Amino acid sequence: MNNQASDAIQPLKSGFGRSIFVVIHRELGAYFDSPIAYIYTTVFLVLSGAIFMNSFFLSSVADMSPYFETLPFLLIPFIPAITMRTWSEEHAQNTFELIMTLPLQTIQFVLGKYSAALLFYIIVLAGSTPIVVMLIWLGNPDLGLIFSSYIGAFFLGALFLSFGLFVSGLTQNQIVSFVLGTLIGFGFVLSGHEKVVEVIDGLSPEWQLGSWIYRSISVMPHYEEFTRGVLGLDDLLYFLLMSGFFLWMNEITLKRSKY
Amino acid sequence: MEFLSYSIMITVENVTKNYGQLTAVDNVSFTVDRNEIVGFVGPNGAGKSTMLKMLSTYIYPTAGTISVAGADVVTKPLAVRRNIGYLAGDTPLYREMQVDEFLRFIAKARGLAGSELTTHYERTVDLCGIGSVLAQRIAQCSTGFRQRIGLASALIHDPPVLLLDEPTHGFDPLQVIAFREMLGNLKAGRAILFSTHIVPDVEAISDRVLIIHQGKLLGDGTIVELGSESGVPGATLEEIFAYRVRTSEEKINRE
Repeated sequence: MNNQASDAIQPLKSGFGRSIFVVIHRELGAYFDSPIAYIYTTVFLVLSGAIFMNSFFLSSVADMSPYFETLPFLLIPFIPAITMRTWSEEHAQNTFELIMTLPLQTIQFVLGKYSAALLFYIIVLAGSTPIVVMLIWLGNPDLGLIFSSYIGAFFLGALFLSFGLFVSGLTQNQIVSFVLGTLIGFGFVLSGHEKVVEVIDGLSPEWQLGSWIYRSISVMPHYEEFTRGVLGLDDLLYFLLMSGFFLWMNEITLKRSKY
Repeated sequence: MEFLSYSIMITVENVTKNYGQLTAVDNVSFTVDRNEIVGFVGPNGAGKSTMLKMLSTYIYPTAGTISVAGADVVTKPLAVRRNIGYLAGDTPLYREMQVDEFLRFIAKARGLAGSELTTHYERTVDLCGIGSVLAQRIAQCSTGFRQRIGLASALIHDPPVLLLDEPTHGFDPLQVIAFREMLGNLKAGRAILFSTHIVPDVEAISDRVLIIHQGKLLGDGTIVELGSESGVPGATLEEIFAYRVRTSEEKINRE
């Protein structure tokens, strides 16, 4: 065997997307290797299914809306539980140094980890499809409404994952990451509720801060458009810009550690 | 590839690294040539790891410039990373992964694929002697094996520059001897810089020694040269090191 250094050390063959795929592959493997992910998923599916079935038996209508109404509240703890390890564990195990010295850009790692988390979320969301099958079997649900609600649920999860990833990059403590992610989730969801808006408006009547947060930041008015069957461009843009913003912030904060 | 004609593979010029008020590396300059093994020696906390982190582009210098294989670490970090094999201190590995899975991940992240990946993979597994643990989870491997897996991840793409932070950490005496032989075999065509606080490692395999203490470079040369410069010809590296540290501290006290 010749151990002499190759004079043809390979330039990076992989394109931007191929490297992201390598990261996705590793991250998905890490998700499915961990028993914790299975536990969270089971709890999430059982809880969301049970809450839906309760309202379904009470109303006896072939309508999936109660499921999508509950979803934002269930995602508040569920998504940070999924994302909390993403960067925190890399910092804690020191593997952050290993990956940050591989010939990949930081944004490729961010997008790779984000895509893997998104795929995992899609798989979890797909766990609710038996409800759709049951409704079709028992009645005549509005399939268009269910479809647009699923699109909304996808974007809602995508936004939650983006800030979950961001806060995970700020700390090596997974619990801190979980708590921060949950607090931001609460902020995004509760700021869309009438009573919360009224209370905040009441604190500063001249500023109407609660209404401003509701219109500009809260996730609920945008998500609720999807659950009403409306696929609006402005709602789509809201989710894309918000998720993009948190991913960009994630990249910036990770790069900051170099200085 | 332009750098292939270079004989100097690492150039460090007036590099300083500050962490807030603390100066971890203080105005250090040196070079490492191709076909050369350089030992970076100093006590714990001397600035060795900080220097290697800067060479690997993991952190950026506060002042000064660093060039590796012809590329600047700050302006062309990806070009630098393609040409280095870096074993970080404490050997960071994904402990939950199987050894085989981990090495393939590193190889793919380095752009290797298909038959080329297989060739590099088999060569590295053979070179590092980790064939017997490929199916094991890294967490189940002994410290010595984990160190070898770390070395394999640094070598898998056959890099022209090797940066190894405490590479013999966790090795038993036989593994240390095997490692020294391996490094000697890898020397052809490569620039190898390794840090250690274990003096016999440096004496056994280094062509040249860099002595660092409290962030300052106190010596750069062969052991014979350093001994003569210090006025103690024939001295051991330990004696030279003690002499240089004492002289440096006396100078600081005088100032």
